[in-house]
This record gives sequence, structure tokens and C-alpha cells, in this order.
Amino acid sequence: MLNEERIKLMTRMASYEEREGKKNLAIGSYFRSDYISLQVLKSVICATITFAILCGAAVLYDFELFMQDIYKEDLLISGKKILIFYVAFIAIYAVISYIVYSYRYNRAKKSLRQYYSNLKQLSVLYEEESRK
Amino acid sequence: MKKKAENKRRLPEGIGMMKNILVLKEHIRNFYGKYEIYLTPIFKFLLALLSLLLINGAWGYMEKLKSFPVVLVVALMCSFLPMNCIILFAAGFMLLHLYALSVEAAVVVFAVFLLMFLLYFRFAPKDTLVVLFLPMCFLMKIPYIIPIAMGLLGSPVAVVSVSCGVMVYYILAYIAENQATLGVTDVENGMQKFKVVIDGLLNNKAMLVTVAAFAVTVILVYTIRRMSINHSWTVAIIAGALANVVILLFGDLIFNTNISIAGAVIGSVISVGIAKLLQFFVFNVDYSRTELVQFEDDEYYYYVKAVPKITLATPEKSVKRINTQRKASAKSGGRTRY
Repeated sequence: MLNEERIKLMTRMASYEEREGKKNLAIGSYFRSDYISLQVLKSVICATITFAILCGAAVLYDFELFMQDIYKEDLLISGKKILIFYVAFIAIYAVISYIVYSYRYNRAKKSLRQYYSNLKQLSVLYEEESRK
Repeated sequence: MKKKAENKRRLPEGIGMMKNILVLKEHIRNFYGKYEIYLTPIFKFLLALLSLLLINGAWGYMEKLKSFPVVLVVALMCSFLPMNCIILFAAGFMLLHLYALSVEAAVVVFAVFLLMFLLYFRFAPKDTLVVLFLPMCFLMKIPYIIPIAMGLLGSPVAVVSVSCGVMVYYILAYIAENQATLGVTDVENGMQKFKVVIDGLLNNKAMLVTVAAFAVTVILVYTIRRMSINHSWTVAIIAGALANVVILLFGDLIFNTNISIAGAVIGSVISVGIAKLLQFFVFNVDYSRTELVQFEDDEYYYYVKAVPKITLATPEKSVKRINTQRKASAKSGGRTRY
């Protein structure tokens, strides 16, 4: 039989699943450490691409000067310099993304708590119905 | 009873008008709630059409993209695609136009877009809209509305997206200014063009001043809006607009940026007006939407249309009867509609 209370609950849950819940449910399927490390890894890849673009831009900015300097400079020292910049850049970006994603994970879990309690309530309603 | 009713009608004019506006707001809300399925695509279509037309107007270097049927088809496509697709198409149009002018300019702007996406918009995809809106509003001479709106709606993090928007506009404006230099096809000077474009991005003082002014505006508006004072939203809008003009003025004096201060003042006044309107009709209204959801259990498929209840009903006029001699009025509980 149609149970009005149950339909209301299910509607509310379905609308949550379709809107803000969509992302939260995806996040909620991960363990905390898995989710955050995956996101930080993505961030590191993005930061590497960014660094490559910036280096490319620096070279193209004054290509002739670059070609002149490349023979004068000690490549090992400038390579080290670039590496230090790269590591610092990656580290800062990774820390920021760690903070952002751990905050997001906690927020998603919090929002899902209500959803899970609704699920429990729903199963209680089903049990009551079946007893009748 | 009639006297009472007349008294009601003779409300002071200001209050009467206010009431009418509130009713109008309620009607708009109801209307939106009812026809949301049709209205959202129409809004998207109009937004896409406007942005593409503005881009074609300001940077129309590729003739093929300027033909109206192309714009119309793309805008129609945008109307049923997700919001961020409008941005994607606008960016695509932009890059193609720049490509027609000079490959170097297109490469630099593409790199800028890519950097913005990789560093920031990956975190906050919704904020990308600001990067579309800001250049549009710059072209319509009212960019000052954006930092105010973001301060009212968002968080201080919006500073990043507003800054990105300003940078995009200024780099594009710089390219348009230097189109004579950039447009020449000259193999030898190809590398020089990179320098010209990147210089325009790095040594653009007008851009830096605008970024600073908008950043301060966003933070100021946000801070005041959150204060527990009366009319905090209005105070925030006005204070933000003033701070913006003052910083632009000082920036102009110190760095000689050639930002038109008269334009900034007029633009700010218009922006304050628009912000007030938005505050009233958009920001504070909960356009909670009619939802169509679909689910099933063991016995049934459910197709539910959930229509939000109106919490603040459009006022129905009711008059309380003081004269209770008539039986009918006593039966109706002393209240009746007319």
C-alpha cells in the first residue's frame, strides 16, 4: 500500500541524492585517507603542468636572451635552482589542497549523516509496514 | 466595515509602494517556481547570446564566427547544456578570434586560461562564471557590480576569481589596443610578439590597480554584510562602491593608469542601483524550486512532483468584523474576505 509518510521521506532523500547529495555521496564512498591522497595527487599533477607552462612562458618571453645565456650559464646550478622552485611550488600547492579537501571531506560526511539517519528511518517504516 | 477598509487603503504612500513591491516579488517567485523548467534555458540562452555578441563586437577578428547564425546555434546549444559550457564556448570563441589575429596572442591567452583552471577553478568550478561576467560587465561599463555582488554572495575567497576576471579582461583589452602590432604576419618578429603580449599582462598598472580595488571591495562588502548592524547589506553595498572609487582614484594619481574616474563614479552609482535591485529580487529570495524526482520500491515506481509551499503568501485582504449583530458573520468566525 502507499504510505504517505514513507513517500515524503523517500522524496526528500531522492531530491537530496539528485542535488547536493550527488557530490557528497561520491566523496562518502572513499575512505578519508584515500580521498585526500587522490585529490592531492591530482593537485600535484596540475601544479606540475602549471610549472611547465610558466617555464615555457619564461623561455618564450625573451627567446634570444635565453639562447645566449644557455651557453654561458652553468646548467647544473640553474637546474638546481629550477628544481628548488619546483619543489617549493608543489609543496605549497599540495598543502593548500590538503587543507581544502580535508575540509570538504568532513563537510560531506557531516551532510551524509542526516541522509544515513533518514535511511534508517525508512527501514524502520518498512518494518512497521511488513508487521501490519 | 467600509470605513475600516478605506483606512487600510489610505496607508502612507511609501508603505503602500513597499507593499506593492513585496507583492511583486512574491509574484515573481511564484512565477519562477511554476515555470522554472522553461525559464532556466531561456536565461542560459540569453546569457550565451549576450556574451558571444559582446565578444564578437569587441574582438571580432574571425569573420566566420561573427555571422549571426553561428552565434544563434551556439547560444541555443548552451541553453540546454550545463552552465559552464557557456564559459567553454565563450573561451573558445575568444581564442579563435585571437588566433585569427595572431597565433602568439592566442597561445598566451590559452596559457592564462589553462593556468587559471589548473590552479584555482579546479577547486571552485562555480566561480568560473565570474570570469565570464567580468569582461562582459567591463564592456557594458559596469564592472563594479561584480565585486559588490561577490562580496554579498560569496566568501573572501571570491577575491581570486574576481582578480582572474579582471586579468582576463585587461589582457584582452591590451591585445585589442595593440592589434596593429600583433596583426602583422612577420616570421622574424614572431618571438617578439610573445614578449609584447606577456608584457601587457605583467606590466599593466591599470590592471593591478583594478585588481587591488576589486579585492578590497569584495572583502569590505563581505565584512560589513556579516556585521550585526541594521541595513548591513545596504551599508555594505555603498561602502564597497565608495572604497572602490577611492582606490581607483588613488591608483590613478600614483601610477597614472588612465582609468576614467568619471566613468568609475557613474558606473559605481549604476552598480549600486543594480546591487540594490539584485539584493531585493534575487539574493534574499529563496527561489526554492519545483522538483521532479523519480524512485522506486519493491511494489511501485514513484514519479513525484514536489512543489514548494509558499511561506509568505501574497496578502489576501481580510477584514475583521467588529459589528457581530448578524448571525452569518458570527458563524464565519468573525472573519470574512471581500
